[in-house]
Order: sequence, then structure tokens, then C-alpha cells
Amino acid sequence: MSGQHSSSETAVRVRRLEERLIGAGLTSDDELDGIIGRLLAGASPANGARVVARAWVDPAYRERLLADANAALEELGLSMSTGPQPQRFTVVANTPDTHNVLVCTLCSCYPIALLGPSPSWYKSEAYRSRVVREPRAVLSEFGLDLPEGTGIVVHDTSAESRHMVLPMRPDGTDGLDEDRLAALVTREGLIGTAAV
Amino acid sequence: MARVNDVGGQSGFGPVTVEPDEPPFHADWEARVYALNVAMLRRGAYNLDQFRDAIERMPPAEYLAASYYERWLHAVETLTAKADG
Amino acid sequence: MAEPRFAVGDRVRALPVDPPHHTRVPRYARGQVGEVVEVQGSWPLADDRARGFTDPRVEPVYTVRFPAAALWGAADGHWVQVELWESYLEGER
Repeated sequence: MSGQHSSSETAVRVRRLEERLIGAGLTSDDELDGIIGRLLAGASPANGARVVARAWVDPAYRERLLADANAALEELGLSMSTGPQPQRFTVVANTPDTHNVLVCTLCSCYPIALLGPSPSWYKSEAYRSRVVREPRAVLSEFGLDLPEGTGIVVHDTSAESRHMVLPMRPDGTDGLDEDRLAALVTREGLIGTAAV
Repeated sequence: MARVNDVGGQSGFGPVTVEPDEPPFHADWEARVYALNVAMLRRGAYNLDQFRDAIERMPPAEYLAASYYERWLHAVETLTAKADG
Repeated sequence: MAEPRFAVGDRVRALPVDPPHHTRVPRYARGQVGEVVEVQGSWPLADDRARGFTDPRVEPVYTVRFPAAALWGAADGHWVQVELWESYLEGER
């Protein structure tokens, strides 16, 4: 997705838009700086990793997370309600029988308030067009070759819910504490294009 | 007459390319466009579906040639065109 | 805000709609039969919101699971779940 305009030309266009909207009293420099600052400081895949690690060590938390993820986030001081409109949040758990993977074929819906901006590949036409039709091939390109018996559920985020995948806890991690476990979890694992 | 954004199942877009260690934004202007959109949504200048609609109405060739945040820029510009100070 | 017309386990068909405005039914699901796997509560209808209606219809949203074979013919043996507002759906026996 390389843009058709040179970046500096676009930057000028953005500055003009910004000046116009600030001039019209619709926003301010402070507000814009605040929005960016809070996003970069607060929203990151590390939040999702913390949630996953807690669910791995605490079966009761796992149950609450799968039943009502919005409430379970708040137990860890996290929230999906910092965005411009409320969003229902659900967590879907991988099992030996079922692997989950997320997409938004129509646009790019993603739990930004929790995980930060999504990676470019998630927003690409290549991913959005293919993962609903040939998820096994797409996952394989990501280096994830699922056993043939594992079913795949592709979640197309087409309404106002946002989702996250709860990966399976890797074998051989019994002795690890929550922080170490969280460090194993990747953004791709939370989307479903990696095992963890 | 599905719109250009409705790509689920469509062929021809090639392999998925992953950028290693991708930053949240690739340029300052991308972050500014992100923030402008959030500010306008909060203010009720338009809602999220009007925002999506504005992107979907881009001429298909323009949509496909634009980067992600160029699409956002197009939508914010279009939806606020009448909001002059 | 109406009572949901469908329940988990119901078979539903996504209407073969083709509206001249914003909608949230992906074309690959239009006319297809799936099973309700979750009722998400009621949300303002995206089609109405996109048109700037001040009083958009508020409808139950359902997570509907479609077998990939129905959508694409032989495929990866997977399922695709789509989140659909009630007026996008009809009951299927």
C-alpha cells in the first residue's frame, strides 16, 4: 500500500485540514496531542499479553474473561471504553480442536483502544480478501501450520464488537510467572496469525 | 453493486506482506489524521458509519491506490468540508 | 429496542440485499444460510447511522456462523462468523 502522493505533499494537506478544523473551533492542538499521547502511552499489545497471561494462570479469571471480557479487562485496570464510542469486547479461546483468527473484511475494525493501531498487513486487501476464503494458506504464510484436524473459525468483525484471541498456553511453561508468560505473547497471537 | 471496500473472498491481491517491527504510525501526519478523526467523532461532527461510508465512496481506483491513512484523510476532509470557521 | 427474534442455534439466511448505501453485510454472506452462535444485544443500525438518520433503528446483532463450504464451495473446512443486524436476516427452516 504505497501512497500515490509524496509524503510531504500529504503532510501539507493534513496541516491545512488541521488548521481549518482548529480555526472552526472543532478541535485544538492540545486535544490532538492528547489523543495521540494517550494512544501511544496506553494502548499496546502488551495489554493483551497481560490479559492472556492472567487467564493462563487463573482459571476463574479465564472463565470471567470469556463470559464478559469488558468487565474482566477492568479487573486489570484496562478498558475498551476510551474510544469515541462504546465497544463490546469479546475474547475467543483457541483449543486443540479450534483455532480462531480475526479480520475485518469491510474496513479495519480492531481493538485499538486496548492494543494500539493494527499492523498494516491486517488492514491490507491481501489479508482481508484471503483469510476468509483460505485461512490455512494465509496462516501457513505466517509460519503457522495447523494440524489437519484443527478447525478454523474466522471472525469477520462486521458490527461494533471487537475481539481478541486467547492463545493456548505453550507446553513447558509451568514454572513461569505472569510477567514471563506475558512476554511470550505476540500481537499476531492475539489476532490469531501466530500460535502464541 | 458491492463497494470497493467489500473485498472478502476476492482474488488477485497477492500474498500478505508483513513489515517487521512496524511502528504505530509511519509519519507524524498519520498520527495527526488519526487524532483529527477521533476528535471529530467525539465531537459528533459525524459518526463512525458516516466515516466508513465516506471511505467506501472513494472511486475504486483511488481507494486501491491510497494508503490506509490517506483514506482516512480523504474521509475527514470530505465529511468536514462544510465546517468552515 | 425489540426482543431478539432469533436465538442461539437458529438457522438464519442473510437476505440477498444490495442496498444503494452503506451496509455491513459482506457480499460473500448475502443469501447464505448460517447458524446463530451468539446474540450480542441491541445496537443502532449501521445503514441508518451512515445516512445520518437522527433516530436510527436499534436492533439485535447476531453472530452468525457460516460453513466455508457454503460460501466458497470446497474450501479449508473452516467457518466464517459474521456479525449481522436483525433486519439483515430471515429465519430458515
